Order: sequence, then C-alpha cells, then structure tokens
Amino acid sequence: MLTVVLDPAHGGADFGARGPTGLAESDVVLDFARAARIALEAQRLRVLLTREGNQDPTFDARSTMINGLTNAIFISLHVSSSGPVGTVRTYYYLFPTNVTPAVNPAVGAPPQTATPQTSGAQLTRASLIQWDQAQRSSVDSSRQLAFLVQTVLVQRFKGSPDAPIAAPVRQLRTIKGPAIAIELSSIDVTDAKRLDQMAQPLAEAIGRAVAEFHPLSAAPTTPSGAH
Amino acid sequence: MPRLWKIAIALLAVLAFAALLTFPSLLRSVLGLRRADRTEEQARRAIVPPISTPTDTREKAQLFWLSPTSPDTLEPTAVELDLSADVEKRAKQLITALIESPPSQTQRTLPADAVLLQFYLMSDGTGIADFSETLDTETPSGILNEEIAVDSIVRTLGANLSNVYRLRILIRGQEADTLAGHLDLSGFFNVTPQAQAQPAATGVANGERPLAASPLNASPSPEQQPAIRN
Repeated sequence: MLTVVLDPAHGGADFGARGPTGLAESDVVLDFARAARIALEAQRLRVLLTREGNQDPTFDARSTMINGLTNAIFISLHVSSSGPVGTVRTYYYLFPTNVTPAVNPAVGAPPQTATPQTSGAQLTRASLIQWDQAQRSSVDSSRQLAFLVQTVLVQRFKGSPDAPIAAPVRQLRTIKGPAIAIELSSIDVTDAKRLDQMAQPLAEAIGRAVAEFHPLSAAPTTPSGAH
Repeated sequence: MPRLWKIAIALLAVLAFAALLTFPSLLRSVLGLRRADRTEEQARRAIVPPISTPTDTREKAQLFWLSPTSPDTLEPTAVELDLSADVEKRAKQLITALIESPPSQTQRTLPADAVLLQFYLMSDGTGIADFSETLDTETPSGILNEEIAVDSIVRTLGANLSNVYRLRILIRGQEADTLAGHLDLSGFFNVTPQAQAQPAATGVANGERPLAASPLNASPSPEQQPAIRN
C-alpha cells in the first residue's frame, strides 16, 4: 500500500510566513494537510502527517518519517509571503551537474579538477544512501510526481505555472523517495477565507495526482540512483 | 471638599507634573533604542568603504529585479554603474547595487538592510558571497521569495561577469542551512556567464527558467557541461 507523508511546514515557534492580519502559514498548511488527508484516505491510501498539531519537527525528523518506509511519497505544503493570490507552484529537488570552466581568465590559470562539493554524494556501500543526499536516488520519480501534481493544480488554480519548478528546497534533499513541495500564494491576504477556499481544491488535486502516480523508484535498491 | 480629596488631587497633580517632566527624555530614550537597532547595519555599511577602485569605469550593467508588471518574475534592468576591472570588486559592486538601488521598493529582491560583507573568487570559477545575517532574517519567508532572492544575484552575476560559474552563499562567514527557512544554501548555485547565456531568460513563475538557484552536485560529468539548462 502506498503511504503518503504530508508535511505541513513550520509549526511551534516557527510560524513561517505571516499575513497582514496575523494569519500564520503554519496554521494554514496544517488545515491544508488535514483536508488532503481526507481526500487521500478516501482512496484507501495510508496517510501520515509530519505534525498533527503545533509542533515543529526538524527537517531530519520529518525526513525520518518517510525514509524508513518503502513505497511512500512525501508532499511538503507551504504558503508564500507574496505572489499572485490563488496560484500554486510545485517544486522538486534537482541536483544539476557540475559546472567547471575550461579556463578561468580571471585568475590566469587553468582550473583544478572540480572540487567535490558534497562528499555525501559518494555511496559507501551498495545498501547505504547518504542521509544528506538521500533525494539523489529519487530525483526522476520526484519530477514525475511534481509534473502530475502541477498539471492537475493548474487546471484548478488559474494563473499557476504550467510546469513544476526545480529548486533546492531544503526539506526535500534528505527524503529518500518521491518528494515534492507545494507552495500556494499567498499569506498576504486580509481575508483568510481566500486561503480557506483553496484547501478543498488543493486536496482534490493532490488526491487525483497521487492516484495517477506510480512510484517507480520509491524504494531504490542500487546506488546508481545518484546522478 | 474633604481634606482627603484635596491631598489626593495634590498628589495626582504632582505625579502628572513629574510625568510631564520625564516624558520627553523617556521618549528620546525609546526612539534612541529604536534607532540603535537600525544603525547596526548602517554602521556596518559605514565601515565598509564605498567600493571604488582605480580601474573603475562607467558601464552599463544588467541588474535583475522583480518585474513591475509581473511580481513573481525577474527582469533585467540596464543601470549605469562604476565597475571595477577586478572581478571580485566588480561582483561586490554589482550585488551592492542590487541591494541598494532597486527602481522601486516593490521590485526589490533582497532586503534593504542586507550587506554583502565580502566576495571571493576561487580559481575554479566559484564565487563566494558572504552576506550579513539580515539576508537570512529579513528575506520574506517562502520558497518563491527565497528563490527570487538567490536568482536575482545569480542572474546579475551571470549577465555582467564572464568568469563566475557557480556561487556559494555564506551568512557572516558561516555555512547556513537555508536562506530563510526553505532554500537550501548547503550547495552551490549555477551561474550562467554572459558568453554562454541562453537567450530569453524567462520568469520564475513559468517553470522553464534556468536552474540557477540549484546547488551543484558532486559528480562532475564532462558530457553534461556546461550543464546550465533552460
């Protein structure tokens, strides 16, 4: 059975973005997550929330919830400080390839071999994945999930971008398995109802996209997943 | 009038008089404290002398701020700046202008109080930008906002420098986990130097923009160089 880990971002003393009337992102995304849970459980999927109340788990604590599971996906929910109200963007983590200039005229010397930026990319054993680079093995499936989600979202939230965006969202880097972040715009509303109204369509969109998603690499078995 | 009332009124009058006397100095103290918060960054700016070098020439530079018509999209603006021939100083001049001279406050991408403390260029084309902590504390929280902040730096460097290929952002000389809670600062960000830049840089919102605000990985792959995708 597929497990969906929903991650209402922030919590506790970390309110996230704050609206002009004091509306806190941490509260809004918790409501979104609860609505999405109902939509997903209606499809007989197992759903976990990284926080059920006003706690503030660390990035790693949230990652731990999914990294011990097989056949699971991770969806982090956010609300931006600004941006066109009523739009939604889906993000997936991408590790672009290294860039090394052939010659660096600024310093008048040929460059050295590119310094490994993150030793964590090296897999020491076939069965081990470095925690801080866990997402490497799932980049393709995350992108696939992000495309599915954004395709559904753009139909319900006009003005949203057509395609998901690759960006280094910190929370996603330590997730082993398909992982995306969804950010709605924006907390900068005087009437909280405008955000409330987004909860149900968002939940339905997530439910529909997840139903279409078949996790191909939710449980990677080879180290070659590191791109 | 009872004597007790008279005493109470007299006491109140004395207290009101004392309050009147102390209020101005109290007000000055409060305002002074408020100013002290602001002047920490201003003092830092004062310590850092205006960035000018003997090789400065007046040039047109392209700086990336928010579009006035599409507030989640970056667009280049041509600005005349005194720019050094020295790459590190030139980068510092560019980023400082990006912070201090947006066409309007609504087009701002970086906090007004942020200060670029130092910019270093390594021999492999890696630029290291060391910012004051206000970049972390004053950048509006959110993936979109943080991405726009980093993208504006990355694109500005790419449009005006030909030898910075990737960027690392530090906060007060230290590695930071995130910019303002979302964007991963643990890695490097691709910079597309002008000579290699693809035409028609697109907006943040359309999902097809270059992956500027993305950390580099640890597996150099020659066949994928320059690996700056649009």
